[in-house]
Amino acid sequence: MSTAVKNQLRVCVLSIKYNIMKEMINKVTFLTNICFMMLNNASILVQWFVLFRLRKDVGGYTMREILLLWGLTAASFGLSHVLFARVFSLPELIISGKLDSYLVQPKNVLLGVMTSSTNISAVGDLLYGVLLLSLFCSSIGRFFLLVLFTVTGTVIFTAFALLLGSLSFWFVRMEILGRQLTMGIISFATYPDGIFRGVSRFLLYFIIPVGMAVYHPVHIVVRFDAEMLAAVLLYTILIATAAAAVFYRGLRRYSSSSLMEARM
Amino acid sequence: MQAIKVENLSKTFRVKRKEKGMKGSIRAILHPQTEEIRAVERISFEVEEGEMLAFIGPNGAGKSTTIKMLTGILYPDGGKVQVLGIDPTKKRKQLAYRIGTVFGQKEQLWTHLTPYDNFQFFGAIYDIPDGEVQRRIGELAERFELSSFINTPVRNLSLGQRIRCEFAASLIHRPSVLFLDEPTIGLDPVVKESVRSLIRQMNEELHTTVFLTSHDVGDIEKLCSRMIIVNAGKIVLDDSMEHLHRSGSSLENTIMEIYKSEGRTAIS
Repeated sequence: MSTAVKNQLRVCVLSIKYNIMKEMINKVTFLTNICFMMLNNASILVQWFVLFRLRKDVGGYTMREILLLWGLTAASFGLSHVLFARVFSLPELIISGKLDSYLVQPKNVLLGVMTSSTNISAVGDLLYGVLLLSLFCSSIGRFFLLVLFTVTGTVIFTAFALLLGSLSFWFVRMEILGRQLTMGIISFATYPDGIFRGVSRFLLYFIIPVGMAVYHPVHIVVRFDAEMLAAVLLYTILIATAAAAVFYRGLRRYSSSSLMEARM
Repeated sequence: MQAIKVENLSKTFRVKRKEKGMKGSIRAILHPQTEEIRAVERISFEVEEGEMLAFIGPNGAGKSTTIKMLTGILYPDGGKVQVLGIDPTKKRKQLAYRIGTVFGQKEQLWTHLTPYDNFQFFGAIYDIPDGEVQRRIGELAERFELSSFINTPVRNLSLGQRIRCEFAASLIHRPSVLFLDEPTIGLDPVVKESVRSLIRQMNEELHTTVFLTSHDVGDIEKLCSRMIIVNAGKIVLDDSMEHLHRSGSSLENTIMEIYKSEGRTAIS
């Protein structure tokens, strides 16, 4: 690994560490946020337990697949919001001209922005996801697949938010559509893909990337499919590259501002 | 040798125009109209190494836009910029290792961290080895008299203490050029004087080139050897302080007269 990459990683790790330290200042808020998020997630699973007492399966999913679906969604969503929360509020940074401090540093602007904030309730999502996924770690192979899909899911969620957020370099008020679509991922990612047909299924695989982030990984863990795995990996690389390219293209249009601001 | 060289630098912003009221908002959706604002228009100047230059003008004159183009924050629409022989639009990161910035209205420090932790973070950003960072923190703490609050979270510091820490953080990598955008804004006269003395000290001891924008005549008079006045994106005066002083009129009056002749009176 080159010294430049090592130094960049060191700054990213320090930035994430300082973000979490900031949230830990008030330990009561820190712990209650995490616990309530886990409870909140668990309460929704109760509804699924009740439903599966009435039906054998929903959209081809049994309770086992639902737990796997929730585990992957919560772990990926949680990890992306713990490490890269700022991406989800990128339009605000662009519109109010708050990228200046990242642009005067001799480091990668995108990584600097991405790692500059954390969402502490997402730690609850991450822990909840890891807890559910641990139920499926029956072999080393399974363990590695689950880790891999948590990472690809995190990259896809983050890249999708980055792609939409970067449109704010061109269009004002894009954050509303962006927020709806990124939250749409979570809404759809907690239901079996078998219940979606036609246009909605097309949307979930090609427009809102839930299919590649969660549905395909669930299918691969249940029954291994090398082609599907290759598709997920390729898509992850493609969306990450496209999101970074759009961000840097947009950065040339960045117009800064003279608003008073502090790094909180 | 020149530290900064600018030739025909230009920047235009496109802003949306909207008529007043709800009708105006509806019309703006159906027939959006934009207006081009020339923030900086073909300006050219040079700054010598070790020089302290005041780059001033009324609000909206193009000072901050120029400083942002020199530091690589904004892309110019036209013209050429060279800072320490580096083009900020092409080698932003390389340039960032050699320049420092203090924006009086924008804090770069993490407010929940202590100045010490902040300096360590900035040390990592500039790839300074741990041992060397410790040495430089000690040196800066002594020079800026930070020792009594170096382990207090930044959010609990007074404005004067925070600005001193901002300066220290900007100097941890020993920049050759320091860009200061209204560094004394909101400070009381005593702290202002202490900040000015620190800037002078840096310039004398480290031969740091200083590019200063300020609305405070005291900053300009006590620090700079040359002054450029910009208005409506154009340079309207580029002269040495010595020459301006020889004219007999006070610096404040000279600036006021130039602003008034350009139709603006925005100096404090």
